[in-house]
Amino acid sequence: MTSKFSVIGQRVHNVDGTEKVTGSAKYTFDVVLPNMLYGKVLRSPHPHAKILKIDTSKAKKLIGVKAVVTGKDTLGHKQGIWRRFPELCDEEILCREKVRYIGDPVAAVAAIDEDTAEEALDLIEVEYDLLPAVFDPLEAIKEDAPQIHDGVELNININRHIEWGDVDEAFKKCDYIREDQFKCSSQAHVCMETHDAVASFGHNGKLTVWTSSQSSYYIQRLYADMLDMRESDIRVMNRHTGGGFGSKFELDSAQFCSAILSQKLCQPVKIVLSREEEFTATKRRTPMYYFLKLGAKKDGTMLAKEARVITEGGAYTAMGATALYLTGFFSSFPYKYPNYRYDGYRVYTNTAVTSAMRGFGAPQSTFVGESQIDMMADDLGIDPIEIRRKNGMTPNYEVPGQAFIQSCGLHQCLDKIEEHIKKQDKLPANHGIGVSAYGFMSGGIFNWFNTPYAFSAAVVRINIDGKVDLYTGACDIGQGSNTTLSMICAEELGIKLEDVRIFSGDTGICPPDLGAWGSRETLMNGNAVKRAAADAKSQIMEFAAAKMGVNIVYDLDIKDGRIHLVDRPERGVSYYDIVKEAIRGKDGVAIMGRGHYTPHRKGMISPAYSFGVQAAEVAVDVETGRYKLVNVTTAHESGTVVNPLGIEGQLEGAIMMAGGYGFCEDQPMDDGKILNPSIADYKLIRSLDMPETDILEIDTYEPEGPFGAKEAGEGLTNPTAGAIGNAIYKAVGVRINDLPITPEKVFKALREKEKNKKAK
Amino acid sequence: MIHDFEYFAPKTLKEALALLDKYQDDCKVICGGQSLLVLMRQGLVAPPYMIDIKGISELSYIKDEKDGLKIGAITTHRAIEKSAVIKKKYPVLAKMETRLASIQTRNWGTIGGNVCHGDPAGDPMPVLIALGATMTMTGSKGKRSMPAEDFSLDYFETALEPGELLTEISLPPVPAKTGSAYYKFNVIESDLATLSVAATVTLGAGDGVCQDIRIALGASAPTPIRPKKAEAILKGKKITDALLAQAGEAAVTEADPISDIYASEEYRRELIKVLVPRMTREAMARAKKA
Amino acid sequence: MKKELKFKVNGQPYDLFVKPKTLLSEVLRDELGLTGTKRGCNSSSCGACTVMLNGMSVKSCSVLALQANGSEVVTVEGLAKGNKLSPLQRAFLDHGSYQCGFCTPGMLMSSTALLTENPKPTKEEIKEGIDGNICRCTGYNSIIRAVTAVVKGEYKEAK
Repeated sequence: MTSKFSVIGQRVHNVDGTEKVTGSAKYTFDVVLPNMLYGKVLRSPHPHAKILKIDTSKAKKLIGVKAVVTGKDTLGHKQGIWRRFPELCDEEILCREKVRYIGDPVAAVAAIDEDTAEEALDLIEVEYDLLPAVFDPLEAIKEDAPQIHDGVELNININRHIEWGDVDEAFKKCDYIREDQFKCSSQAHVCMETHDAVASFGHNGKLTVWTSSQSSYYIQRLYADMLDMRESDIRVMNRHTGGGFGSKFELDSAQFCSAILSQKLCQPVKIVLSREEEFTATKRRTPMYYFLKLGAKKDGTMLAKEARVITEGGAYTAMGATALYLTGFFSSFPYKYPNYRYDGYRVYTNTAVTSAMRGFGAPQSTFVGESQIDMMADDLGIDPIEIRRKNGMTPNYEVPGQAFIQSCGLHQCLDKIEEHIKKQDKLPANHGIGVSAYGFMSGGIFNWFNTPYAFSAAVVRINIDGKVDLYTGACDIGQGSNTTLSMICAEELGIKLEDVRIFSGDTGICPPDLGAWGSRETLMNGNAVKRAAADAKSQIMEFAAAKMGVNIVYDLDIKDGRIHLVDRPERGVSYYDIVKEAIRGKDGVAIMGRGHYTPHRKGMISPAYSFGVQAAEVAVDVETGRYKLVNVTTAHESGTVVNPLGIEGQLEGAIMMAGGYGFCEDQPMDDGKILNPSIADYKLIRSLDMPETDILEIDTYEPEGPFGAKEAGEGLTNPTAGAIGNAIYKAVGVRINDLPITPEKVFKALREKEKNKKAK
Repeated sequence: MIHDFEYFAPKTLKEALALLDKYQDDCKVICGGQSLLVLMRQGLVAPPYMIDIKGISELSYIKDEKDGLKIGAITTHRAIEKSAVIKKKYPVLAKMETRLASIQTRNWGTIGGNVCHGDPAGDPMPVLIALGATMTMTGSKGKRSMPAEDFSLDYFETALEPGELLTEISLPPVPAKTGSAYYKFNVIESDLATLSVAATVTLGAGDGVCQDIRIALGASAPTPIRPKKAEAILKGKKITDALLAQAGEAAVTEADPISDIYASEEYRRELIKVLVPRMTREAMARAKKA
Repeated sequence: MKKELKFKVNGQPYDLFVKPKTLLSEVLRDELGLTGTKRGCNSSSCGACTVMLNGMSVKSCSVLALQANGSEVVTVEGLAKGNKLSPLQRAFLDHGSYQCGFCTPGMLMSSTALLTENPKPTKEEIKEGIDGNICRCTGYNSIIRAVTAVVKGEYKEAK
């Protein structure tokens, strides 16, 4: 069957693939500039303390040290990403008076090499007055807990409430109610490239920054806030970026400290965080205590769900507020609850800041929700697929008062997974298959960053040879947005992918884009790119129509470099020839098209949602509790598939990350100190541990998305932990409600089960 | 940050020993460096003098001789893993090496370097103990040898005296009707052991009686240990499930595991109870076929 | 005191003086400008720094530069012949076996070393071959598919 598209849906090489496989792709990690210095950051060893005095004199005297800065060398501003609410902009980065977690920056050094900078850190003397600290949000919310931020009662950073229907009334009508408690753990992003920046202040007071970032625009704006500079005097350039996963769109210590040092010296300063700093002093997934109450009729129809959540905020707000909201919103997904109530509290603690990580609160809500719905199914004697089918969202469903879901392929996904499970041979003993369903957004709408710009914008320039330069603020962090957006541009213009050259993530030449987070690039930036390409196309078409002199009733289109009549495709002219004429016609000016996208009147959450269902097979060693991930099969729908190779990669990568969340990743702490801040000690799924993966594509079409496309990278991070938990239950009959599901927990649960059996 | 040092790369054992005598406590020996460089990068170790023995070819060999197998101390893990004679005669040793760590580490790291590092969770030592290995150390004053189970003294501390290098690990010939097994319990396949058990069983002629048994536990105490009480329960007896369970319980009493972020002490003890019988059974099954 | 390091990298001989503490990864990146080899951790765990040393894959962050004296090193920059990519590189492109690309040089070096030693590995051996390399983006299976395709002979060495 021939595709209606020429470029969309093709299995293409990433546009930066050749650079990446030859090692010639340059990351901020590789940037070396003339006269460049190397910086290091001194961080608090205490979870909560007042800074009494910082003596940098010895460090300054060390040969090779060029500058040492502390909070006093900054303007003392606080910043944060929730700019709409100034009280939530609570992070100074270089602390002036108080430190609030182990790792909070207090000073920074610039020296001729990294070793000298590191030596200098040891010579900085900081006098602290230790304060009592609190690490667990359930403790921090008590009356007598130490106060972490002035004026913030009970350390409650922010709370969120979502409600529709009447939950209390509805529970009275239920035949069956379950109440369950869960604990969701933290998780580290573990980007292969750590946070890094090369900041260069010129003698003209303008700042240029090379950095590993998910949003050059956000970083530019946050720099402007912190340095009291005009945004336009700051240029942020995102290089090839070695991973983001939510960790790189907030202003970080590498970016800020390198800028402060460079400002003092008018020399470029490079700061690369060590892997240990990456684990201890960058942001992480939000741990959550979850209390769920679910009520249903005995035929499995859900009537009401109530979720109460307390999250461990860590020392500052960051994006934790969004995670708090989204976990509550996605706790209602992907089912139609006539009555729903969510109350969430984010509580400050003296631990590393919890913020955005791929899934943004939804991996947590999906783990707990999918575990509970399976428990409900078990109690009622209903098949796990059937209970999901009975309650699952459908196209054109309104989440009451919250969001409108246009395309939704959940039911097709359920059917595919049911088929997949039925096809399996009888499973060996102690094997089990568990199911988990999810829905996720394609970019958020609520403008907490308070940007005055369109959420996404793009410029297309058609040059004399018909080749196109595409300018977009979107940042490619490995998710392939450079390729996806180039494909959308090529498809719209009817030219080859190789004819598009993309310039992305450079605030000096690209229009602003909010960045690569919340799964927004394909839908939001994709729409901007499509519109820009359409704008440029219409300018060419004017000339084509005139040149071809066709009857006014006929439409023209471009495909494969040829402008033709839609109804009579054999009649056409070369696109390349028309471009030349159009440019001459415009007095020698290249064709420029502009496009932008901001979701209007699409609710406050997202313009579109993707859905999927995952089945995980595990094999459990009942004597030890150790288990293996055997297979993870996913049926998912993400609208029109623009970049199939990209989506497969996103899916398999998501399984590694989401599987890790359920299986092995954790950040245990002792009095606020992370105990495993190295890749040796932080357990990650490697190739020998990776399960077999299968993908079942479902065709859907999202009217809001470019060519019908919506997100695929983040939603897929949601279901795996729940699928693993459900699979273990199917395999050996025990349920673990706190992540990660370690062999020891399985072992203890199996022993408990045996004991209870014997007791009967 | 790694602090700089004076570097020597002797080509013979004699040269290396002379350097060790000269610099004594001020020097460290590097070979594969897979453990040492991690410690140095963390600033835990900063010797002014470094003696690199990687180039001493006389210390890298695998020799199958009448009185057993001789392995030079700087033989890489990968060479052991791929050695035809080891795969044939001591397959448990080759198998252990395949999951010791990544191929990159196995290509460059050495068995001597690993055992001298003295990590109680290290893979080779329990297997060497179960195989009845002998460790030979050489100093300028001469050679001495000891059983593998006496080589580790404490966490990251071995019986090597200043001025000595581990030069050879030798394995006795395998008696008839002998089988060995090794299991490393962890969550990630090629990760360090959370707990490990090795066992060698020699069966008597015909009737399933355990003529000889050696069990070794890793990551169960400050050093790898041989739970002799557990062995005594099985030695000379016809092995039954009940006896194996008893041996498991006995081994627990001889172990001294810790609680850490990977497992609690209690769980490690439970694992010993399960894995000692399991590895003994596996060793027996191989012994029957041998 | 700096010591002499004479070795070949990607077929090119070099004669340098380096501080003994210099790691092989540092001399490759900082002295020779071969920035394809990356550094991802401080604990010899991630494999992003993998190169081939005398035909074997090693983590260059865990080898002293001086230990490569007299040796031959191959980095990712040495895989292509001019602008002709190696079979593995082409297979990686076709199978989308990379995303952010930071681990990719290390993955390519581990895979190249694997196939140099054993041109017909099993799937399990391929998994083992890259087990020392962490990838946070791809989930490994696309890399395994690419290597498998090369093993099956779908990609010939460019002339």
